Amino acid sequence: MTAQHAVRANGPGGGPRGPARGVVIEANALTKRYQGSVNALDQLTVVVEPGVTGLVGANGAGKSTLIKILLGLLEPTSGTAAVLGHDSATDGAQIRTLTGYMPEHDCLPPDVTATEFVTHMGRMSGLPPTAAKERAADSLRHVGLYEERYRQIGTYSTGMKQRVKLAQALVGDPRLLLLDEPTNGLDPAGRNQMLDLVARIGAEFGISIVVASHLLGEIEQICDHLVAIDSGRLLRADTISSVTQVSEVLLVEVEEGTELLAAELARRGLATVAQQRGLLIQLAGEQTYDAVRDAIADLGMPLNRMEQRRHRLEELFRDEAVPGALEPAATRTGAADVG
Amino acid sequence: MSASAAAEGAAMSPTANGNGNGTGVIHDIGYRSYEGQRLGRGAIGRALTWHSLRSAFGLRRGVKAKIIPVITFVILCAPAVVNAAAVALSGNHVRQISYDTYVPSLRIVVMLVFLAAQAPELVSRDLRSHTLPLYFARPIRRIDYPVAKLTAFFLACLIMLEIPLLLLYLGTVAQVHGGSAVWTETRALIPGLLLGAAWALVLASLGLLVASFSGKRAFATGGVAVFFFLTFTLASLLTHIGLNSFGHAALGAPSALARLAGLISPFTVLDGLRQWLGGTTVGQIPNPGSLGPAYGLAFLVFLLIGIGGLILRYRKVGVA
Repeated sequence: MTAQHAVRANGPGGGPRGPARGVVIEANALTKRYQGSVNALDQLTVVVEPGVTGLVGANGAGKSTLIKILLGLLEPTSGTAAVLGHDSATDGAQIRTLTGYMPEHDCLPPDVTATEFVTHMGRMSGLPPTAAKERAADSLRHVGLYEERYRQIGTYSTGMKQRVKLAQALVGDPRLLLLDEPTNGLDPAGRNQMLDLVARIGAEFGISIVVASHLLGEIEQICDHLVAIDSGRLLRADTISSVTQVSEVLLVEVEEGTELLAAELARRGLATVAQQRGLLIQLAGEQTYDAVRDAIADLGMPLNRMEQRRHRLEELFRDEAVPGALEPAATRTGAADVG
Repeated sequence: MSASAAAEGAAMSPTANGNGNGTGVIHDIGYRSYEGQRLGRGAIGRALTWHSLRSAFGLRRGVKAKIIPVITFVILCAPAVVNAAAVALSGNHVRQISYDTYVPSLRIVVMLVFLAAQAPELVSRDLRSHTLPLYFARPIRRIDYPVAKLTAFFLACLIMLEIPLLLLYLGTVAQVHGGSAVWTETRALIPGLLLGAAWALVLASLGLLVASFSGKRAFATGGVAVFFFLTFTLASLLTHIGLNSFGHAALGAPSALARLAGLISPFTVLDGLRQWLGGTTVGQIPNPGSLGPAYGLAFLVFLLIGIGGLILRYRKVGVA
């Protein structure tokens, strides 16, 4: 599902508002050089379209720097950036009105309640007092904080704190959310809940989202588009499906006699790569399935598993990631840490 | 919590939703976008100022946050109350306390405690919890944050310094009779109020500047206390030496050291400024006489350091 299909629920008094049209972010030859160090961003040119976009790269690749330049918190050394049609150098206030930002690091005062804090942040987004109160209650409910919101933030778990951080980004009704490592410090369950929440906001709320993460699995799970950067340079920008469907492989597992099967498949002209308990075969269409079926039937082996797999995003960061080249790592699953 | 928030909380709680199973998760109410008014930079700045002013007195916070502001405020008001009683009971109805100095030593000590305790409340908390990036990611500009904090703390100091003066005034005029007597009191009050504003400006800006260098409350409080106390002690000591070692009694005029020592400390600079501008009540330092303009200049320099320093501080403060 992509945000293009998202239908925004309209509340009372709210006129129809479709998903954002046009280009959400446009960076042009963006360069950021910190004093006496290497370039954090190096001639980065990229266009981000509406929907949920993953901004992926190792730690230090320049993700946070890019987000801060887009918000006008940092000045680029050179190059230009536009967010929702506004120039980040001259129109920062307008961008910040339309954008919600969830920083990577802890940013919550421990001695106020979530309600008070998010209400205050709503006021700081330009909402009048009553609207700030209502939207703070709405935002906290959307992120799944109910009775707890009347408790001091200092008593919260990491997962709840991450939700408050998301709620304060949401409170000003932004057109764009910039989320910097939203799953930072969460356990696997909390991670999945946060990802579901982000995906839901992108799909149901009609808000475009840029999620920065060093975890490829997360990006793959929730994003429509992907922007991969490395050392401040653009590595790749594309839709998730086109990135991950570059080539597909078939995993075949049999009870025993894996080598026998490999030999049989080789006889039928299929190259295989042995993996822990199975064989990987380059998928070339229906005939590949037929050949594998026939080979197994001829050998009379019990088939345990046959599964189609995509190449994973992490290959983007491998030199040997040439489409078609079959690497055992191609089927590693789950979130892989590139850092 | 306001009544409306409480009502809403009840309406939105899972059990009140009619699910009845107690685990009901309400995700399906849909997202409501906001089409209403959006306030500009000025209004957001005012909201931040108001929020900060309340926190300077611990309002909407726990009891602990209110202890020091309330106690210091009550102590500063006490002389005015005593004056009101004295004026009422004495036969000639004469005011006991000067408007332009109030009770100098009490005022200095109590304001020092207030500054050390409350300046960190305004600036160190946001540094400590790294909340600043959230402010700077919103429509306001960088400079709006220190300006709002400074305005709020200036107003807080003004309340601390001038409510007692107004009580002093009211306690006195309640007992005097005739329009001219009231007018005399009012004319005496006005310079006191203006000097109070000068105090509030210098103390608030310097207090916030020192506090803004540490996110750790203890350090910020210590820094503010040490800065104001040390400079004041040093100025008092040098004034004392200047008066006693250079025989002011014989010459009839204090030595240059005695007249210049006050330039070290904000409190004595404010006192020198007062005397230069015509204040006659005996204060912390001897009358600077011809060196009066130096106190006027020192006042401006302290103000410039305080306000300029605070703005520069928040230009530099890291969000990267």
